[in-house]
Amino acid sequence: MPHFSLREILLCIALSLPWAGSAFAQHEHSSSDFEVFVAAEAFHGTRQTHREDADPWIDADVVFGTTKHQFRVFGEYYITPGERDLERFQMGFEFVPETVLWIGRFHQPASAWNTEHHHGQYLQTDITRPYIERWEDEHGLIPQHITGALFESRHTLGRDGAVQVSGGVGAAPAVADRELDAIDLIGANPGRHRLSVTGRLAYLPQYVGASSLGLLFGHDDLSVSSARTLASLHSKAAKLSIYGAYIDWMADPWRIVAANYYVDIALTEANRNESLMSGYLQIERQLPGRFTIFGRVEDSARMQESRYVALFDDADGDIETALRRQALGVRWDYTRRQALTFELSHIVSLTQTSNELRAQWSAAIP
Amino acid sequence: MTKIAATAVLVTLLTAARPAWAADQLVLIVSADSKVEQLDSLEVRKLFLGLTVTQNGDRLRPVLDEADARVKEIFLQNIVSMSDTTYDRSLLRLALIQGQIKPIAYKDIALLLKAVESDPTAVSYVWAKDVAHDSRIKILRVLWYD
Repeated sequence: MPHFSLREILLCIALSLPWAGSAFAQHEHSSSDFEVFVAAEAFHGTRQTHREDADPWIDADVVFGTTKHQFRVFGEYYITPGERDLERFQMGFEFVPETVLWIGRFHQPASAWNTEHHHGQYLQTDITRPYIERWEDEHGLIPQHITGALFESRHTLGRDGAVQVSGGVGAAPAVADRELDAIDLIGANPGRHRLSVTGRLAYLPQYVGASSLGLLFGHDDLSVSSARTLASLHSKAAKLSIYGAYIDWMADPWRIVAANYYVDIALTEANRNESLMSGYLQIERQLPGRFTIFGRVEDSARMQESRYVALFDDADGDIETALRRQALGVRWDYTRRQALTFELSHIVSLTQTSNELRAQWSAAIP
Repeated sequence: MTKIAATAVLVTLLTAARPAWAADQLVLIVSADSKVEQLDSLEVRKLFLGLTVTQNGDRLRPVLDEADARVKEIFLQNIVSMSDTTYDRSLLRLALIQGQIKPIAYKDIALLLKAVESDPTAVSYVWAKDVAHDSRIKILRVLWYD
């Protein structure tokens, strides 16, 4: 059972102050809010597959925000039995409506999936996220948490549409032992973080809608902070260049989510370049009775040949990196803000093939 | 007989002279002290979907009227054009993505009017009859009528 440090307790007190004051702050035009997304999951896997870091049996994602005039503060604190992380903490200034400059730790905008779902399970139709979109502490290949500055802007385009631009620059994670190590706002940081530049250009058919399609770009300079990794990679740094395209389209009762990434990996001292591709297509359809069925196909190219990808596999029975996956499931929103989801996956990883069955209860509170 | 006829005529005249506000009308309201003079349909939709809408440099604050189930139904159909579930998910999504603040909801019309009256940035919607003679409240426009 992890212990809470004094720094965490002070942080919680500091974050709770805006809500304590909100009832008395009406005339100062400030307002605050918070949501908690909770989920509990059961897992069964064939072969030696067992529950992974990405499958805590219970988790809570606390999202809080406060606004005063043009200033905004926003955070996301994720809690599982084995993890407590301040995943995002951003302080922003909104120059004009929907144009914000944030400073802090954020999710890089070049991820199609994570910028939509973040850590909140309830708003994600399925249980699992595509392997290429995994977080750093789930052995994800692409840096997701950046600490620095994030610029986001949305402008009207045509009669109803909009164009959205996001750009982030800051400190990238370092390559630690079998996982990327992002800057931790609460815990200790060994350092060795280099530059990350990420961006997204998206078209929204409706300014106020959730559908969008766009282009993604990322460049991450990753230093190697582990001796084992250095020995495997023969390089003290890896430079990732990521180019992608995505679509997230809703046309009731259908929804299509697809993304494809091309990742170029330059190993600076090994004088060797690698590249890989990874993508996924998910289709969802709403049915009567608040049921939604979904299916997802993930595929990749050249992952088996990559030294960089091999770094993240520890052959402990977990599947850290999948080459392919087919997932099928059903979700039932049986009451307001609560859902039950079942998902069946067939996975081909670097070392094994397996089938997995997951059942999840998810909710949003209050 | 004459009395009955006179009463009937009087009732007819009173009915004909009934002011427009007495009919079923949902109106967009702000405080009488508010600088807001008008909001178009897209601005109203953006505001109640949790996006930022400003006027005269002030960020407007949406206030939901949940005092009457019919008002809520009209709001969902005609203002945000969503089902209750979709609207709720839309607000949750914005809270998760960028920490946007959800609109405050009132189930008591007196408290709602008090909240709007005291905040020049608050924007809400109520039955016209609830604010017909209320000098503290400014009606911007009719959102829906029967």
